[in-house]
Amino acid sequence: MKQNGKIELRNITKYYGKVKVLDNINLEIKQNEFFAFLGPSGSGKTTTLRILAGLEELDQGKIFFDDLDVTNTSPGSRDIAMVFQSYALYPHMTVYENISFPLKMDGIEKTEISELVKKSATKVKIQHLLERKPGQLSGGQQQRVALARAVVRQPKFFLLDEPLSNLDAKLRLETRVELKNLHKSLNVTTVYVTHDQEEAMTLANRMAVFLKGKIMQVGTPTNIFDNPKTLEVAGFIGNPPMNLIDAEISNKQLIIAGIKIKDYELKETNLKQVVAGIRPTDLNISNEGIPAKLYLTEQLGDSSIMNLIINNKIVKLKTMEKKQYNDGSNMFVKLNPGKIYLFDPKTGLRI
Amino acid sequence: MNKKIRDSILTLLATFILLIWILPLIWSVFVSLKSEIEVMAYPPNIFFEPTLNNFRDAISGSLSIVSELADSLIIATITTTLTLLLSIPAAYSLARLNLVGKKKLGFYVLATQMIPPMGLVIPYYLILGKFGWLDTYHGMIIVYMTFSLPFAIWLMVSFMEDIPREMEEAAFLDKASRVKTLLYIIIPQVKGGIAVTTLFTFMNAWNEFLFAVQLSGNKVRPVTIAMYNFVSVEQTMWAKLCAAALIAMIPVIIIGIIGNNHIVKGLTLGAVKGGGRK
Repeated sequence: MKQNGKIELRNITKYYGKVKVLDNINLEIKQNEFFAFLGPSGSGKTTTLRILAGLEELDQGKIFFDDLDVTNTSPGSRDIAMVFQSYALYPHMTVYENISFPLKMDGIEKTEISELVKKSATKVKIQHLLERKPGQLSGGQQQRVALARAVVRQPKFFLLDEPLSNLDAKLRLETRVELKNLHKSLNVTTVYVTHDQEEAMTLANRMAVFLKGKIMQVGTPTNIFDNPKTLEVAGFIGNPPMNLIDAEISNKQLIIAGIKIKDYELKETNLKQVVAGIRPTDLNISNEGIPAKLYLTEQLGDSSIMNLIINNKIVKLKTMEKKQYNDGSNMFVKLNPGKIYLFDPKTGLRI
Repeated sequence: MNKKIRDSILTLLATFILLIWILPLIWSVFVSLKSEIEVMAYPPNIFFEPTLNNFRDAISGSLSIVSELADSLIIATITTTLTLLLSIPAAYSLARLNLVGKKKLGFYVLATQMIPPMGLVIPYYLILGKFGWLDTYHGMIIVYMTFSLPFAIWLMVSFMEDIPREMEEAAFLDKASRVKTLLYIIIPQVKGGIAVTTLFTFMNAWNEFLFAVQLSGNKVRPVTIAMYNFVSVEQTMWAKLCAAALIAMIPVIIIGIIGNNHIVKGLTLGAVKGGGRK
């Protein structure tokens, strides 16, 4: 197994025509890490991945693989394997030929190729499909072929571009677990692009949140979940994401919808107007507190999400309680004072 | 019931249209089997004693078209081969590479097709004459390629543009060079396009008459010109002419049958774009 596999991006900027799609991306991915690029579509995460692969030229910045400048090298020379969102299998070749193609291009001997292909096909459980053509396979099987083709060469870096997005929900969960296992057994630096935060959270050692061509925050999934640094990240992470409620500060007291929040330890700040972020699970129905009106309840089976109107805005509350309320009924909501995040509405930064 | 009526009307219509196309062919077959005197009989005899003499005369003897058949075969085959060899890389670069002036180049390739062939006969005659290439294989082939290349390039470009770029990018990441990508990934997927190009280029070169009549001579004579063996001031030998025409059709028919199979394959490949995609 090849050693190393550190990736470093420095000041990457990329334009499509006049549109700036990547704005000064700086990132370090450690050896053998499972690193996720998380962000909505159009946030620049796939473009960054394609730049890593050498499929996209960049306008500014440098890329280093193991401290070696690879900015201007060809995709083939970077020792990268990639699984495309569409899998990009070669339709005229059998599964065996597909998997063996990178080895053939590498000039490896036939007997060795056959051994390696079988090994990697067994790893993703498609050894019985080797004679078929991609068109005769299901989506899940095609995806496995793409994985086998990527791992067969034992690359230094493994890039995955939304590999699960074309699978149905059940298969996605299964494959997710297998991907994690695959990464463990291969021990290769893996970069994983996804718009699904659950995938990023469950798979990644660390992740970067992309928004509008910028990296908003880098950290472990729990770290980003617990400590969103900006309003944008707070409004993106979590399912459903954090509620962002306009609030005031007066006399060193936090006031939401005209109600003082008890037991909240306010940090030193000169701001009068702030945005309070609170996760749907950190709100509770109570006999006192902030007045709210129930707009609609979404049942999720084991829990439910109550859409409440506070200050003319929808606030989501997630609860395990089975008690049903009628839509339109008035109630009071209490916030968990230890779980309130305050943001500066102008800069968007955490206070 | 309604569907049955509709189907039978459509079948009838199709048969009628097919008959329009096939009647001259059937007529030629009949004429080719008659003697020259029988051909002239009026009203035509439906029952006659068929003879293969006309075919024998067209193949051997003073009126033989065999050497002309060979000339046509050489010209059409080389034209087709060269057209394919040049149009595939040309189409690939137009479809994929960021060439300077790519759009303009693409337009000029197409623009050559807009000039009426009639207007080109004399200039081509003069040019070939200057080079001393009249009545030569290479002269004819070069002229035919000026027509087949633009057509072939445009056709291949459209087939190649249908292949998802990711397929190529995957090949690049698999350490394949551009040339290897073209050979292993692109060409096998545009087989249908290659079949269509082959068929059209060969057929056009084989059937061409206007340029052949001006630019060929006694040394190089395509088969279309050889049909004039049977037409003279005194008489037209209709039976032999038909026999020769039928013989001259055979290569095109064979290529059509072989190509047809591939064209259908090419079309179905296009139907599941990318094949490997879901």
